[in-house]
This record gives sequence, C-alpha cells and structure tokens, in this order.
Amino acid sequence: MLKGILTLLVFQFIGECLAKLFTLKIPGAIIGMVFLLLFLILRKKSFHALDNSVFWLLRYLPLFILPSAVGIMTQFDTIANEALAILCSLVVGTFISLCFSAKLMDILISKKEQCHEH
Amino acid sequence: MNTEALLSYVSSTPLTWLILTISAYKVGVFVYEKMGKNALFQPMIIALLLILPVVIYAKIPFQTYFQSLHFLHFFLGPATVALALPLYKNIAYIKAYFGPITITLFVGGLFAILSAVGILYLFGASHATMLSMTTKSITTPIGIIVAQDIGAIVSLSIGFIAITGLLGVLFGNVVFKWLNIKSDAAKGFSLGLVAHALGTSSAVEISENAAAFAALAMGLSGVLTAILLPIAIHFL
Repeated sequence: MLKGILTLLVFQFIGECLAKLFTLKIPGAIIGMVFLLLFLILRKKSFHALDNSVFWLLRYLPLFILPSAVGIMTQFDTIANEALAILCSLVVGTFISLCFSAKLMDILISKKEQCHEH
Repeated sequence: MNTEALLSYVSSTPLTWLILTISAYKVGVFVYEKMGKNALFQPMIIALLLILPVVIYAKIPFQTYFQSLHFLHFFLGPATVALALPLYKNIAYIKAYFGPITITLFVGGLFAILSAVGILYLFGASHATMLSMTTKSITTPIGIIVAQDIGAIVSLSIGFIAITGLLGVLFGNVVFKWLNIKSDAAKGFSLGLVAHALGTSSAVEISENAAAFAALAMGLSGVLTAILLPIAIHFL
C-alpha cells in the first residue's frame, strides 16, 4: 500500500517539477498521470500495492472533493442571478452533446465495419 | 469554566470540520445505499446539504473551513495521477476503433464545451460562469485542478460537473433508443466523454464493453482537456 502511495506521490512530484521548470500551462498532476500511464505501458503490468492505493484513493474521492465543493456557499448570488442561463446550458448542452457524440461514433464505427466487410 | 476558549477552539480546530465532513459523507453513503444507489442521491450531494447549513449557521468563513481541511484537498493531486491505472487497463480498446475514438474524442469533446458555453453566452452570462462551465464534462479531480489553473470559480465548476454527470445518466438510455445507437462502444464512449465518472458507472449497466469505452473516454478526455484548455484560454 505504502509503495503504491509513494509511486503516485513521486509521479505527481515529477510532474509538478517539470511544469515549474519549463513553465508549462499543463497542471503538474496531469503530467504525472501521463508519465505513470507510459510507465505502466512500458512495464506491461501494474503491481498489487499500486492497485490497492488507487482503489483506496478513488473510493474516497468525494471526501477529497468536499472541501472545495463547500465553496458553493460563496456563490449563491451568482447562481440566483444566472439560474436560467446555467440550467439551460447544463440541460440542453448535455443533451445535445450526448446525442452528437453517440451518433457520431456510431456512424464512424458502422462505416469502419462496412469497409472491413467489403 | 472558560466557554469562550472552548468555542474558539471548537470553531478553529480542523477536528471539528473533519468530524463534520466525514460524518456527513458517511450519512451520504448510507442514504445512497438505502436508495438503491440511485444517481440522484450521490453521497457527495447529500454530504454537501448537511455541511452547508452548519458552516453557514456557525458563521464560519469558507476560507477557514477550507484551510482546516486542506490535507483532504491535497489528495486530489495523487487521485488524479491514480486515474492513469483505469486508463491503462482499458487502453487496449483503442486499437479496435482507433479512428472513431480519435475523431469522437476531439470533435465530441469540443462540442460538449462549446455547446454549454455557447448557450451561456446567448443568455449573456458572466465571464466567470462561462469559464467555470468549460470543465463540466471532465472527471471532478481533473476538473478541480484545471478550474484552479484557468482561474475559474472552483466550487461552481464542481457543481456544473456534478449536475452534468446526473443529466448524462438521466438522458443516456433515452438518447440511445431515440437515435437508434447500435454499438455499445459508441454508447459507452459518449457517456464517458460527456458525463465522466457518473456516465461511466451507468455504462456498466449497459455491458462490459460499454463500461470499458466509457472509462477510456473519461480518462482520455480528462487528459486532453487538461492539456488543451489552459493553452486555449491563454490565447483567448
């Protein structure tokens, strides 16, 4: 377990350092994630301690989100003033995005499969 | 008895807010399980409804609450790195549909951001709200990190992300039936792309294949948005 946590912390640290060193616009944790992904692809397998740590971290993820989420208490005015715009954007935006992505990928896949048949 | 000293200790120690936050989350998990794991009863939303009245009633500034729980917030970084593992476990699925995945990822991902921000723009919403909306379709830990990076209002972004996830789950099957979507890969991928983790958990109910493509979409769109969005906003 500790080895898994250490792995995640080291990859994040490397990512944050690279972001600072090269003044990148990309968040350090994301660079760390990409490096861990490449590391796993090269290593061709994960290890038990990492699996455990990842399971634990992702299981309690909502608990890590809550401190920031409580900040909504400072935004009640914004939400009240722009309620209609926000509601339409979320409802309509999510609906049409889901339609668009699902249909696009479905068409692309059926075209690809037709090509293979001929 | 020194009640003043007691009160000032209770309101300033991280213990108070940690106990409140973990208890509220526990209640949230309990209610969620009692309600048959219905997405509408997300533990985080229930916890938030329990915590907010206490913090507001006690007149605790948000900064005080946040700083005393900063070490919980810290774990978002390692949790983001941890997302490499589910992505790695599903990366082999890319080979099956490399073209469709790449095109849908870029075009569909961009569409999700532009449609939501575009509607806000038509309504004349504020710049801060539009900025906070850009992260709505990516998974929350990455969303928070990106929102901080681009100067959005983090708590608004979290709210938008959570609601988008719920709506994605709600619309999923309706949209797939209505548009006659045949491929499970397309169903899963669009759910993960638009509705991140909640969409992925609802894709599990469609099929194993759909779940794998949803996890893939969530991971890829998270990384891609985190890389491209700060650069795009820098140039705007």
